[in-house]
Amino acid sequence: SGDLLAAVPVLGEDTASIVTPTAIPSHCASNMASASSIAASIASKTKTKKKHFVAQKVKLFRASDPLLSVLMWGVNHSINELSHIQIPIMLMPDDFKAYSKIKVDNHLFNKENMPSHFKFKEYCPLVFRNLRERFGIDDQEFSNSLTRSAPLNSDAQGRSGARFHTSYDKRYVIKTISSEDVAEMHNILKKYHQFIVECHGNTLLPQFLGMYRLTVDGDETYMIVTRNVFSHRLSVYKKYDLKGSTVAREASDKEKAKELPTYKDNDFINDGQKIYIDGENKKMFLEKLRKDVEFLAQLKLMDYSLLVGIHDVERAEQEEVDSEDNEAEDDGESDGGGVGTPPDSPSNTLDSTKPLSPGEFDPSIDVYAIKSNDGAPRKEVYFMAIIDILQHYDAKKKAAHAAKTVKHGAGAEISTVNPEQYSKRFYDFIATILS
Amino acid sequence: MSANCTSAAAVSASKTKTKKKHFIGQKVKLFRASEPILSVFMWGVNHTVNELSNVPVPVMLMPDDFKAYSKIKVDNHLFNKENLPSRFKFKEYCPMVFRNLRERFGIDDQDYQNSLTRSAPLNSDSQGRFGNRFLCSYDHRFVIKTISSEDIAEMHSILKKYHQFIVECHGNTLLPQFLGMYRLTVDGVETYMVVTRNVFSHRLTVHRKYDLKGSTVSREASDKEKAKELPTFKDNDFLNEGQKLQIGDDNKKYFLEKLKRDVEFLATLKIMDYSLLVGIHDVERAEQEEMDVEGAGEEEEYENDGMGGGALTGSFGTPPDSPGNPLNCGGFFGPGEFDPSVDVYAIKSRDGAGKKEVYFMAIIDILTHYDAKKKAAHAAKTVKHGAGAEISTVNPEQYSKRFYEFMSNIFVGPTPPPPTHAQLRPGGTGPSHLLHSSSSFLFAPARKLSH
Repeated sequence: SGDLLAAVPVLGEDTASIVTPTAIPSHCASNMASASSIAASIASKTKTKKKHFVAQKVKLFRASDPLLSVLMWGVNHSINELSHIQIPIMLMPDDFKAYSKIKVDNHLFNKENMPSHFKFKEYCPLVFRNLRERFGIDDQEFSNSLTRSAPLNSDAQGRSGARFHTSYDKRYVIKTISSEDVAEMHNILKKYHQFIVECHGNTLLPQFLGMYRLTVDGDETYMIVTRNVFSHRLSVYKKYDLKGSTVAREASDKEKAKELPTYKDNDFINDGQKIYIDGENKKMFLEKLRKDVEFLAQLKLMDYSLLVGIHDVERAEQEEVDSEDNEAEDDGESDGGGVGTPPDSPSNTLDSTKPLSPGEFDPSIDVYAIKSNDGAPRKEVYFMAIIDILQHYDAKKKAAHAAKTVKHGAGAEISTVNPEQYSKRFYDFIATILS
Repeated sequence: MSANCTSAAAVSASKTKTKKKHFIGQKVKLFRASEPILSVFMWGVNHTVNELSNVPVPVMLMPDDFKAYSKIKVDNHLFNKENLPSRFKFKEYCPMVFRNLRERFGIDDQDYQNSLTRSAPLNSDSQGRFGNRFLCSYDHRFVIKTISSEDIAEMHSILKKYHQFIVECHGNTLLPQFLGMYRLTVDGVETYMVVTRNVFSHRLTVHRKYDLKGSTVSREASDKEKAKELPTFKDNDFLNEGQKLQIGDDNKKYFLEKLKRDVEFLATLKIMDYSLLVGIHDVERAEQEEMDVEGAGEEEEYENDGMGGGALTGSFGTPPDSPGNPLNCGGFFGPGEFDPSVDVYAIKSRDGAGKKEVYFMAIIDILTHYDAKKKAAHAAKTVKHGAGAEISTVNPEQYSKRFYEFMSNIFVGPTPPPPTHAQLRPGGTGPSHLLHSSSSFLFAPARKLSH
């Protein structure tokens, strides 16, 4: 009865046929799961624009790099595990020392997208679950962002050439860190968590959402996931990394050649760059900043930066018009708004169900976004938050003595201040540029 | 504050046994069980089915699939200690093959997973050969048997041919339906398990049970066995009672055709010492039992939440479920009725029968290989091994013939005419002399076996 072509021999029919997602007669209902998974796997390969999934979407964890596949698999696994663990009323001291570890060894199985041997370790799973909650992030959505499609390489460079990825939907940043960073995170985690509790998640500090160790081909890679400072939708055309210090704070020529260079303090001043935000926003921002840097100084952390990104509304509108004209049939990365809106430009990903007008954002997702004030010369949106907070003063001094110099790593600076001085200088600089 | 509220209420709600039947969100699975090994089993099946859901179903199985395995080792520290051990390993043998088998046996992977993971499997007091441990999924659809590493090796030896046999008979067989095979390591101890479809019903109780081999020696339930709630009777008990199963001519013909194909297949693989497991559900007795219980007015809270698969809704104003039938849908099925897609071995008694009964019959214990037996026999200088096993001096082929002959006589009515050459299973691998002799033992007059 009817057209039955399924990729698998259905009960009673031993046909090896071409895979086509056709209607399945009801008497084969028991095979629905496998047939729909075939359809879903095809759909997932052809960037489906569906937003609502009835059946569970197949996740292939396909990526250009086995490390990314393992990350996707690991986050998927971790969130699934956590979904079966009751959320405790409060965290216990043991939770800050806990980890989950899993080792996979497959033989002639599942070789297409995953390595056969890998390990995945998650540090303090209950703590990070609690942090995600306090930062307003639902675990399922967190998992989806990191697993539905492979994270993308980012050309952003952290200190010492740390590697960056962003989730495919640009909501999260995945940074490769060192084992020393992992140790430092463990040191500060309790106090960090306490700080987040007290400020109700309202902070400019990095939102730490998960920390992992991946082992592929015998190599260990440590990764930390934070919320993206920039928008998942609105493009940033100019970017600054500000420390408030005075030495060698200028983008190199090599940096300036990039598509989105990271400019620094001296560039900011020399460009005459201004941040046009109104009094209320400024007040709230500086209050948060003050509390945050005081906290960092207490923990003897320093060498952090304020990351600033600027979205130019008119410029973005023009870009969208240009790309519509030039690439009318481009298959955009993103899902469409689906509600009769103009086609998405490639720079806009994952519109929510209601379309947002130019320069508009959802403050529950783009939590760092601040609109320019009414009197500003250009309509802009600013994204500003603190990054790179894991450098401890004592560790620095040790390394300095060892190297007989305070300078370490490419692009790092010679700094002879202590954390308290650093925080004051940092705050003063930022307060000044906002005036 | 975030949208996800963590409150004491949420924590306690998940601990109370909700009787909700429809789930919108994903149900939290705690993998809570009386023993760590059961928790690991539930976790492992949950994990492997989830993994498979992300592996596209191939067009066909490849030779490598029959050698494949997936292995996972968990090492947690100060995490998730409430229901699971901190360290354990879980290995699944030939995942793609068993997925394909589940499909061919009409079992949806999600349903399979739910049956084994929503609530802990239950211990069964039935004993396999050599005291192997038996468990039943909480919804009684699947049987989980603890087996030996030799059984694992034997399964690997026969798996390709078994799979091919299932393909050719379209899943229509009395052989065990092998659905998954695993190795669990807890506290350094390895346990091997195989999951099969339950021969008996997930709903209708079995009142009388037989394990029949068609052999002649020591085939009688011991007094200790008879003291059990549901003793396993054997060949001699069956014969002494003058028991006959009243399944009607068509059913009998159909059943014996399958049986013949199956035992021929087993003989070609040199497998023997299997049994026909027979369970009898007495419809009137079950109705009486249900009334007795309802009369007593008990309101037991049972382990399961009545979600043993798609057939159970019970939300149409039906009478309250009786504890005797945990998954009884009340008005959904009449007495003695069943869903043949779930209770695949069930056969109703024929219309003229004295008693209204439902029979469940299928072959079990098919992993004893003749060569392995002979080796063990030579080593032990005797063919007898293990408690309750029998001295058997026949070879697999003789065993199959004797087995078939006995089973063809347990039913009321004439034996069917022997199938002609053309009717025999296409691509059959039976040795040719078995085909000739089949007519001879089928035409033999029905007779009791003499000892």
